[in-house]
Amino acid sequence: MTILERRRCVILAVFSIGLMLLAALSSPIGAADRDANNEHWAFRGVVAPDLQLLQTTAWDRSTLDLLLRETMVGRGFRPAAEAEPWQLVRRVSFDLTGLPADIDLLDEYESSPLPDRFEQLFDRLVASPGYGERWGRHWLDIARYADSNGLDENVAHGNAWRYRDYVVRSLNQDKPWDRFVLEQLAGDLLPAASDEERHELLTATGFLAIGPKVLAEVDETKMELDIVDEQVDTVGKALLGMTIGCARCHDHKFDPLGTADYYALAGIFKSTKTMENLKKVAKWHENPLMTPELAARKAEFETRLQQQRESIQKVVQAAEETIRAQAENKEQLPKNLEPMFPAPVAEELKKLREQLTTMEKEGPPIPSAMGVAEGTLVDLPIHVRGSHLTLGEIVRRGIPSALGPISAAPIDPASSGRMELARWLASDANALARRVVVNRLWRWHFGRGLVRTTDNFGLLGESPSHPELLEWLVLQFARDGSSWKRFHRRILTSATYQQSSLAAPDKVAKDPENELFSRFPLRRLEAESIRDALLFVSGSLDRRMGGSLLTVKNREYFFDHTSKDLTDYRSPRRSLYLPVVRNNVYDVFQLLDYPDAAVPNGDRATTTIAPQALWMMNSEFVAEVSAQCAATACGTGSADEKQTMTGLVRRLFQRPAADGELEALQRFLGELRNALAVSESDEANRVRLAWSTLCHTLMASNEFVYVP
Amino acid sequence: MKSLAWNQRNETSRRQMLAGSALGFGVLALADLLRAGSEPDAAPGPENGASADNPLAARTPHFPARARRIIFLFMKGGPSHLDTFDYKPLLARDDGKPLPFAKPRVQFAPTGNLLNTPWKFQRHGACGHWVSELFPHLGRHADDLCMLHSVHGTNPAHGGALLKLHTGSDSFVRPSIGSWVSYGLGTENQNLPAFISICPTLAHGGINNWGAAFLPAAYQGTPLGNASVPSDKARVKYIENPWLPREIQQRQLEQLSQRNREHLQRFNADPTLDARIRSFELAFRMQREMPQVEDLSAESASTLRLYGIDQPATANFGRMCLLARRFAERGVRFIQVTHSDNKVQWDQHSDLKNGHEKNAAEVDLPIAGLLSDLKARGMLDDTLLWWGGEFGRTPTVEGSNGRDHNPEGFTMWLAGGGVKPGFRYGATDDYGFFARDDKVHIHDLHATLLHLLGLDHERLTYRYAGRDFRLTDVHGEVVHPIML
Repeated sequence: MTILERRRCVILAVFSIGLMLLAALSSPIGAADRDANNEHWAFRGVVAPDLQLLQTTAWDRSTLDLLLRETMVGRGFRPAAEAEPWQLVRRVSFDLTGLPADIDLLDEYESSPLPDRFEQLFDRLVASPGYGERWGRHWLDIARYADSNGLDENVAHGNAWRYRDYVVRSLNQDKPWDRFVLEQLAGDLLPAASDEERHELLTATGFLAIGPKVLAEVDETKMELDIVDEQVDTVGKALLGMTIGCARCHDHKFDPLGTADYYALAGIFKSTKTMENLKKVAKWHENPLMTPELAARKAEFETRLQQQRESIQKVVQAAEETIRAQAENKEQLPKNLEPMFPAPVAEELKKLREQLTTMEKEGPPIPSAMGVAEGTLVDLPIHVRGSHLTLGEIVRRGIPSALGPISAAPIDPASSGRMELARWLASDANALARRVVVNRLWRWHFGRGLVRTTDNFGLLGESPSHPELLEWLVLQFARDGSSWKRFHRRILTSATYQQSSLAAPDKVAKDPENELFSRFPLRRLEAESIRDALLFVSGSLDRRMGGSLLTVKNREYFFDHTSKDLTDYRSPRRSLYLPVVRNNVYDVFQLLDYPDAAVPNGDRATTTIAPQALWMMNSEFVAEVSAQCAATACGTGSADEKQTMTGLVRRLFQRPAADGELEALQRFLGELRNALAVSESDEANRVRLAWSTLCHTLMASNEFVYVP
Repeated sequence: MKSLAWNQRNETSRRQMLAGSALGFGVLALADLLRAGSEPDAAPGPENGASADNPLAARTPHFPARARRIIFLFMKGGPSHLDTFDYKPLLARDDGKPLPFAKPRVQFAPTGNLLNTPWKFQRHGACGHWVSELFPHLGRHADDLCMLHSVHGTNPAHGGALLKLHTGSDSFVRPSIGSWVSYGLGTENQNLPAFISICPTLAHGGINNWGAAFLPAAYQGTPLGNASVPSDKARVKYIENPWLPREIQQRQLEQLSQRNREHLQRFNADPTLDARIRSFELAFRMQREMPQVEDLSAESASTLRLYGIDQPATANFGRMCLLARRFAERGVRFIQVTHSDNKVQWDQHSDLKNGHEKNAAEVDLPIAGLLSDLKARGMLDDTLLWWGGEFGRTPTVEGSNGRDHNPEGFTMWLAGGGVKPGFRYGATDDYGFFARDDKVHIHDLHATLLHLLGLDHERLTYRYAGRDFRLTDVHGEVVHPIML
């Protein structure tokens, strides 16, 4: 903030002053408090940096570089040299698709004389399906995506994958951010031109539905409010970087959120249908994805069932009438006459009923997606200390007005208010929400946000390290129609992004955390990329997209009381498609800092622990991919050793072999072959195992899991 | 983000060696691999909180600790306090009559009238603890036990109650108590995990019950098998390589180490790269030490008998208790042993008599054995033993011969580690439905356990997503009267 003031920045009232004037909702927070909050950088209107005083140099390729270099130079630093072409290709490839570079693409890049070869590379990568798989996964971290409920009753979200695929599709289509937000919060309320579009919009609302729920909560009122709370908390963290959930029990200790704000928001979700019923084990709501053909088939099916039931009824009636007609004393007839039916009739009935049972099982399956719909509209009372047993005054559904320069449109009393909330969150005038998303995009490219606390922009969050750059990025994002792909292009084509990660020792000593971005951060791959890269370089990655890999049916248990593990992660598909089972995330991912799939997380940790090494050394998975990698590398076995090794180094690390490296590898291979002579008598097996151990060693190396 | 490594001793001297010798990496690596010390690390850190260099380095507590480690004997399913340690004579008098006061507003299942216990109770030891005939062996240790008769929780379902018990929260994902303890104290043996859970149940919260949640992954509990694996088959995952002969793997790791060190040189000794190199060295040492701990063959026949490992009914749980002692001996900070079969074990909604009889018979002798063994080895003084389930059971009958879940009042006991032996604290009402006197909520229990380890539950905090979290949230009163 002080930097901003020093630089005499001008506040641009570029956005929707009209909306500010329209502010219809009265804030439950006092006016004095609001003034105090207006000081907080995150809640203020967007401030355009004054660029006039900045001097460009030959290094700068973008205003972004200009703004970063300013701080750098101010602290006595210079930018690092440009990265080697192979480093750049490896970096961009992992960054945009989560996979190592394709060797053909790399060859082409290195030999291309074109001045815009980088832009061309960018365009190809960002247009490849791998882009949506990679960046979709980033968003799924925020959406706390999971294929199971977790918490107390770990039942399968059998249809959550449709939401995951929707996210991947949306990013591959470069759906504008504001539209993406709107669909996920209120897709069911948006007009659709076709069945397909309607389904897409219904599926989008899965965002609100896939949270963890205490499904065996005995107190149904509490269960429902806990679910609402989870939604409020997720929306707050995911889209505003605010811990709104705190205000469930007390006015927020640090941020301008009162319990009244909380219950105004909670009313919106209480008026939204998320659950089918609350009887334990409770069932969440799913929206059927109906088409006219399906509807017709379903109607036809129901007609056939009805006809069969009628035929049964006719036979019963006829038989009963006969018995009644023949009875001497009608008064003494039992209520149920069926046991008295003559054998042929009973036989026929049995057959007809069996047919009915079979028919009932053969109904056309109606696909459905986890998601929400409008529910019973209601305003909630303040729950004193968060308890539903001590209720205070009723608060009208609404949107907290203290969190930014714009207020939301008042809620139509005939709706839940989700649409108004969604429009407010998606608006490019919502400076807080925009800063949050732009900062996350930056974080995913550089491993660290300009605001380090990516999920907390409240008063306890950190201030931006480069406030003007953040403001500038927010403005560019709006100018680019809130397109993620255009935003990536701005970042990736910058000189800042293309710096080398190698830095002079004194630079590392003076700025160990690279706060100035005066080099590219050396980064360890995330869990998914490590697994995907292992499969990719071994030639066994299955690139098919979408669909479900769950082995249990919708709403069934992954574990019951028996502790028997019904999860199965043996698949050559990309990691994105492996089931995300809360309470039991794939153990390899747990080891490698996969986020907790119960809460939004925009800033994954990178820890280094011995069990990761044990997995690398001893797991069946790594042993298998090593063997496959060796088989792929050696091919028919006709190539000479050095050639094969050169190819391996290129495929695994994207770089040319270093001086003496091939000789060292050859020595190692020879040693392995000799050592294996004791345990392995077959020559061919010995060679295979030696190569496989060599590949294993390369894959376990730091160089494989770090991107320069 | 700073990268965290599990282990490093002699950090300074080692960095100096690294700086001074560009070619000596392979030699140094091998020396490290061979220096497979399993002796407890002697150097506690100067302050609490995570150190970036070694998050598991032993740390001095907030104040002098009464206990250095915890062994938690978890009885999955909810053992009945009314049939084990909380004697209620009125149940015999009023058997079959209605409960003379209101039941809780929220119940898991409908229950009927009062049900007497099918077992006889007797006073034991000089302290006169009441123990039912379900626990004859444990009864002989009455004078070691500190009974908490007024424990209560909030959640009447297994999942919620397990999460509450293990993490302090039944509605959010929070770190397990074992993770908090590892975070607060580090551990005394850098070749083993700080927090080990032997045969934990995967149901009802599953991994969250030993998970680190938002704490760094180093504080995650390490499971040894799970509840559907017999304890003699329970292993830490990936602890051995079935494909490569040991000497070839060692050669492979030397080569790996050499490559990594050359790479490290290029990147000016980046600490995260160095940390990963060290993680492989530690992994190799763990791989050597863990099987030694798991191998019970060196234990004498009399020790195996002591734990009931020579008898089919007690062998499975007996082995877990013996493993717990072996981990405790080697400096592991928090060890949980779970008694759970592939059903919900102690969850006798019906057939209380047969169910509890079978369950008690499986654990009584091994727990008594563990107590004797710890005592004989002088370890009971600084090892806190903690016994209990996620809740107790109702004094009123479910169906014709069962009891329902009851989080309103139940019994847990502690032994050793600074608690008063032969002591009783708190009481339930005359029928044992609600905790009545000196109530101990799960949060209070957590605060007390941390206190015994020398940790102030209000100061053991971790900042995450913009606020400080603690195991006890905003609750928890330390129960001082039970302490020596």
